[in-house]
Amino acid sequence: MNLIRPRLTDFHGIHKSQSDIDFAIQFFDEDIPLYVDPFLLWKSPSQQDQALHTAIINSFNHLNYLVKKRRSDDAIAMLIEISECQEVGLGVSKTRKGVKIGQGQAEQILQLFHDIPEYSQFGFTHFEVIQLYISGISKDRISDIASNYIKSFLIDYTIEQCESLGIPIEGVILESIYNYKNNALDFNQKVYLPVNPVNKEPIIFTPKRWLRFNPWINFEDYFQSYCPRDEIFNPDEPQERVKVLNYNREHYGAVQGYIEYKTRNIEDCTNDPLFSQIPTLSAKRKLDQLIKLPTGKEDGADLKYEELSASLLSSLFYPHLDFAQTQSRTESGRHIRDLVFYNNRDVDFLDEIFSDYGNRQLVVEMKNVKAIERDHVNQLNRYLQSGFGSFGVFLTRHELPKAIYQNTIDLWSSQRKCIIALTDEDLKLMAQVYESKQRAPIEVLKKKYIEFRRSCPS
Amino acid sequence: MNKSDVDRFEKLSGQLISVYEEMSLLSKKNPNDAVNKFKLKFVNRLIAESNEFLLAKYRPFDDFDSFDEDDIPHTSDVVFILSQYLQCFEKLRADNVVLEYGSWFWQVEGDDNDNVDKNGMIKIRTVKPKKLKD
Repeated sequence: MNLIRPRLTDFHGIHKSQSDIDFAIQFFDEDIPLYVDPFLLWKSPSQQDQALHTAIINSFNHLNYLVKKRRSDDAIAMLIEISECQEVGLGVSKTRKGVKIGQGQAEQILQLFHDIPEYSQFGFTHFEVIQLYISGISKDRISDIASNYIKSFLIDYTIEQCESLGIPIEGVILESIYNYKNNALDFNQKVYLPVNPVNKEPIIFTPKRWLRFNPWINFEDYFQSYCPRDEIFNPDEPQERVKVLNYNREHYGAVQGYIEYKTRNIEDCTNDPLFSQIPTLSAKRKLDQLIKLPTGKEDGADLKYEELSASLLSSLFYPHLDFAQTQSRTESGRHIRDLVFYNNRDVDFLDEIFSDYGNRQLVVEMKNVKAIERDHVNQLNRYLQSGFGSFGVFLTRHELPKAIYQNTIDLWSSQRKCIIALTDEDLKLMAQVYESKQRAPIEVLKKKYIEFRRSCPS
Repeated sequence: MNKSDVDRFEKLSGQLISVYEEMSLLSKKNPNDAVNKFKLKFVNRLIAESNEFLLAKYRPFDDFDSFDEDDIPHTSDVVFILSQYLQCFEKLRADNVVLEYGSWFWQVEGDDNDNVDKNGMIKIRTVKPKKLKD
């Protein structure tokens, strides 16, 4: 069955929304734009998370031991090897493939143990600070290094989650797994993990609670809010990153002060959700803009309509329907945009459209037209034959004209296809209940469906 | 009507009035807002009991039994219906009260233990029916 932008869970027929699942659900084709933040592990009230943070830091500081024992080559090899962890699928890569750091960068990191006496003597307490010293080390490296150090734990976690959800796992060979006992890498280990069905690459899950868009300690934040810029740059001098990094290397106190400052504000450090709903106020504003839009294509009104409704609906339907994608396609010379949602089946209505209409995904076709015509219905009808099940939604400005409504009823009668139209009025009601929280906006769709079924011949 | 009907009347109409007042407040703020399922459940229960009590003669609408949860009724819809029920309750009262010595009384059937008049009726003190001329 063709699914649009399938996620691991949808592929295996597990209908749970992201909000119900403990780990970040991965896409097969691209990374999730979030990163493991070691600070969240450190901050976590769970002793297990804290212990994992300790393991990460101890392992990182072990590099210092290697350097001091004149085994720099081992340390460099280790750093390079753990600088990329593509199994966790985090980052911004479109292909889920990343590159490791180079020898030079690894040497620069190890040099920190030499250059800064505090690290040489006591080691790091938050290894994320290497971002503040080394050019080219950013959040994805921090995330990858942290993930690699606790990979063994993540594998167990993945297996446990797979067992509880019924995701199939199979034997795969992992290039390397960090061994905390020996502080060394075990190469070519056979483990059991879920795999990407297309290329059979192994997949490792990461708990949602450790993920942030930006690590709590990061260079941009340091540059914006903490670093003494007056001391680093002369007046009218371009503000170059390298100067800040050099300054930091000579002023350990500044970095230390920054960490203390971030630790004081620890309450604000929370994980970022994978999807966040737009605030009520913004929903109302978007709705107002949408209502005011003229129908048709004049002044790009159709594009604006699509943009506004995509953002509105993905928030209004959350968490019952996870947003998959806006799709473009061209049919009979027209440019048509749809919204595609994953069907999590977590309310009775969604379960019904899954079992009665076979909708593993739900397609919403946006039409900024004065009136829906027979052609539009035929287009959506044709579309409903390919993997979307036979339940589809029009998002349009006005109620369907009587003849067209009859047409949709006839479609149901003859082919058991269900086409529902959501109008401006319905959107208003959805925004209203979204604000008042008296009912869920998804229930408005159910209402329309029930109204439709009442008109159908029994 | 008898004594227990008067009891039931007072209980139901009291509940209807308080729900009506609460819903009116909500409706004034947001007439088009949806009523949540919790409130709707109790509104429906009250309406069902009222239907049973009012019988066909006094029911406001023959074809209205209860709100459908799936139709997402607005607060103003609920206020509208409740006001109709209140009016019908008042109509029932007006038909069963009498004015005597300047006070209003229910005139209902008494049972064996009551001090009934020659028609077998007893009187129970009540308030003046609303919107009736003195």
